[in-house]
Amino acid sequence: MSELTYTEIDATVLNTLTPPKRAYWLTVAALAAGILIGLSCWIYQIFVGIGVGGQNNPVGWGTYLINFVFWVGIAHSGTLISAILYLFRAGWRNPIARAAETMTVFAVCTAGLFPLIHLGRVWLVYYMLPYPNQRYLWPNFQSPLVFDLVAISTYLTVSSLFWFTGMLPDLAAARDRAAGWRRRFYKILSLGWTGEHEQWRHYTRGYLFFAALATPLVISVHSVVSWDFALAVVPGWHSTIFAPYFVAGAIHSGLAMVLTLMIPLRAIFDYKRIITDDVLENVAKTIIFTGLIVGFAYATEYFIAWYSHNEIEIESFRWRALGDYSLEFWIMVVCNSLVPLLFFFKKYRRSTPWLFGISILINVGMWFERFVIIVGGPAHDFIPHAWGLYTPSAVEMGIMLGTFCLFFFLFLLFVKHLPSVSMTEMKETLEKGSAHGS
Amino acid sequence: MEVKRYVMGLFRDEDRAVGAIESLKKSSFKLHKVHSPVPSHKIMNVLDRDRPQSKVGYFTLAGGIIGFFTGFLLAIYTASEWSLIVSGKPVIALVPFFIVGFEFTILFGVLGNIIGLLTQARLPRWKNLKQYDERCSGEHFGVVAQCDDADQDRLMAFFIEKGGDAKRIYVY
Repeated sequence: MSELTYTEIDATVLNTLTPPKRAYWLTVAALAAGILIGLSCWIYQIFVGIGVGGQNNPVGWGTYLINFVFWVGIAHSGTLISAILYLFRAGWRNPIARAAETMTVFAVCTAGLFPLIHLGRVWLVYYMLPYPNQRYLWPNFQSPLVFDLVAISTYLTVSSLFWFTGMLPDLAAARDRAAGWRRRFYKILSLGWTGEHEQWRHYTRGYLFFAALATPLVISVHSVVSWDFALAVVPGWHSTIFAPYFVAGAIHSGLAMVLTLMIPLRAIFDYKRIITDDVLENVAKTIIFTGLIVGFAYATEYFIAWYSHNEIEIESFRWRALGDYSLEFWIMVVCNSLVPLLFFFKKYRRSTPWLFGISILINVGMWFERFVIIVGGPAHDFIPHAWGLYTPSAVEMGIMLGTFCLFFFLFLLFVKHLPSVSMTEMKETLEKGSAHGS
Repeated sequence: MEVKRYVMGLFRDEDRAVGAIESLKKSSFKLHKVHSPVPSHKIMNVLDRDRPQSKVGYFTLAGGIIGFFTGFLLAIYTASEWSLIVSGKPVIALVPFFIVGFEFTILFGVLGNIIGLLTQARLPRWKNLKQYDERCSGEHFGVVAQCDDADQDRLMAFFIEKGGDAKRIYVY
């Protein structure tokens, strides 16, 4: 990295903001079409009723909750990379921190749609706000669902502000090299930033506090999400390990999504000198760590079921591995715990196709992990005559397609309109004495 | 009335900019401000030696404390408005309410942090751009000093002697 100069960093990053080509707009249009499909399905559901989804007794939470947990999980590694690794002074996070933070913001936005979709009568969402209804009844702050509302809205606010604050110096750099409407756009967004020492003095302090506050927040948010399940008595849900298990799983899936996004990004925008093989390798090494925690959590759940001598718990976990959803279970185990072990070998960590392929498999595995937990628990709980299965309906699949398209649509808009790599942090990583402007 | 002039020395090299700042402090010229594309620890060490730390943290702390009590009291107030026992928990259940208090601590702490950052760094302020060189967001460190009208040439020569690549004059 030391051979880069300040000028080259600016040129490489700001080059990505040049007017896009036709292929870009075609991709954006295709994603917009996907969003329209999802929106149409949602509107259809609002008119016809929530029954058009596949959720029914005994499985009341289907893909809407699966996708909610999936996207909240994806959001987590953005904060891990931008805040936690910042506090640890891990310099390798600098080239990918901005894109990971962006991923966080868009993933939380996408996740936030699902409780609204699942609500059915979406116009009644204000029932969740701390505002008394006609009977002066307030939301129940003892409910994990209300914890969730507080935690997710806090997380969206904090991660958006963290993202924007981190971008201020780069917006100023973009402003100083842009012309026309783009210059006016960046001028407004950069708030008059000039890199004055007095600004940096307060900025560095404020950024440090941001990171310090975001770190416990990120751990709390997915813990709160896990309590949506763990505070119920359903077998397979009522577990004390859920909070750390969910946090580790969230970071696991988020890191995989970082690879899924970064690898095409660096190929398309010629970022190879900035997002180097070493950076991707470090992400892969972190994935080994999170994969081992997730694998350990899977094993611990079985140990707890066996050690408890609780027949219902034992049956629930036997059925999970051998019952109707055993395929989903084994996809989960193989993709999340076994496939990442390939990263123990340098050959796979240094190979872009392998990194990309494994990252996709982990994303698939993590989606199925949420399926196994959310659907598996109520589908096979205490009373045999109440057991039942769940299959997502076409409407649910359409909405899911729409939200996936929405995430990638927002990300594509971001990479062509805002600096996708933090130029300031990249410059900070340059070694002492390098020729800044040559 | 004597007119004050401001001259900016532009340096590609951080060490030279630091050297110029140190020399300026010993000279008859008055150091006005320094622009840099990155938060430079070397510049901070020279400029912040005798200054108190940034006050942003006090805003963050105040926000956090206010947030904690807001979250806790909101949950207590709303529960006591309708004294209904839910899930066998007491009406005012401190353990679950701690979660609400914690999230509000973070939220208000961050909002306090932002208010502190904006007020202390005096943002937004677009008129700053009139006295600024665009190269300072790229690869240059800009050191601005103040002098009397008659000393302008001497100050420009000073920056060139210190290895400044360019100079610019501001009339405030």
